Amino acid sequence: MINLLFFGRLGDFAKDVPSTIEASTPAEIRELLAVEFPDLGKALHQPQVLVSVNKMIVDWDQPLFDGSEVAFLPPVTGG
Amino acid sequence: MTVRIRIQQQDFDLAEEYQLLRQTDSVVGAVVTFAGLVRDFEVSAEGHDSLANSIDSLSLQHYPGMTESLLEKIVEQANERWNLIATTVIHRVGDLAPREQIVLVGVASQHRADAFEAAQFLMDYLKTQATFWKSVSRNGEQRWIESKASDQHAARRWERAADE
Repeated sequence: MINLLFFGRLGDFAKDVPSTIEASTPAEIRELLAVEFPDLGKALHQPQVLVSVNKMIVDWDQPLFDGSEVAFLPPVTGG
Repeated sequence: MTVRIRIQQQDFDLAEEYQLLRQTDSVVGAVVTFAGLVRDFEVSAEGHDSLANSIDSLSLQHYPGMTESLLEKIVEQANERWNLIATTVIHRVGDLAPREQIVLVGVASQHRADAFEAAQFLMDYLKTQATFWKSVSRNGEQRWIESKASDQHAARRWERAADE
């Protein structure tokens, strides 16, 4: 099981998304989610969106393992 | 280097943080502090601000665990570039009203140039790399803030400076 987190405006698109999923890469999660949640899929495909695994920014083809925490991060706006 | 990084809901006391920085070491010769406040208006992505963009409140979300480690990395980078004695970064999260304090960056060094430059670097990197997201409320309607090209631009100047 992969745990999913959505931050910022991505959270608004992900209200009905389950908190866990089975997938082998973040890119695969994005494809799976886009089928059922097309608006979220579109938002995740924007080039500025970054993905992290276990709180480290990674490439979209990073291999995932059981229990990984995958977070989708829109451009940050703190400070 | 003494490092203090805090992410918290409650307010901070600038004077108290200044004293902590000042008293770190007897060789401290310069302390620079920066405090960021909640504006009561929102600057649009095009850089316009007007009463039409006034806000009622601001809310800050972050990614617990990741934000702290990113801030630690940003502080480490500053410490590699400048001679720093102490660094404080405090960022508030949760709901904030206009004019409240959001962020504090404080740097103590022997000489002022290190403290001035490191403080700017820390703010520029914090704004473009640390996992915080702002939303604003106006007339009961919540909206996420878009990232600004000017912030990206400000952060990039340090990359150029490092290449030279």
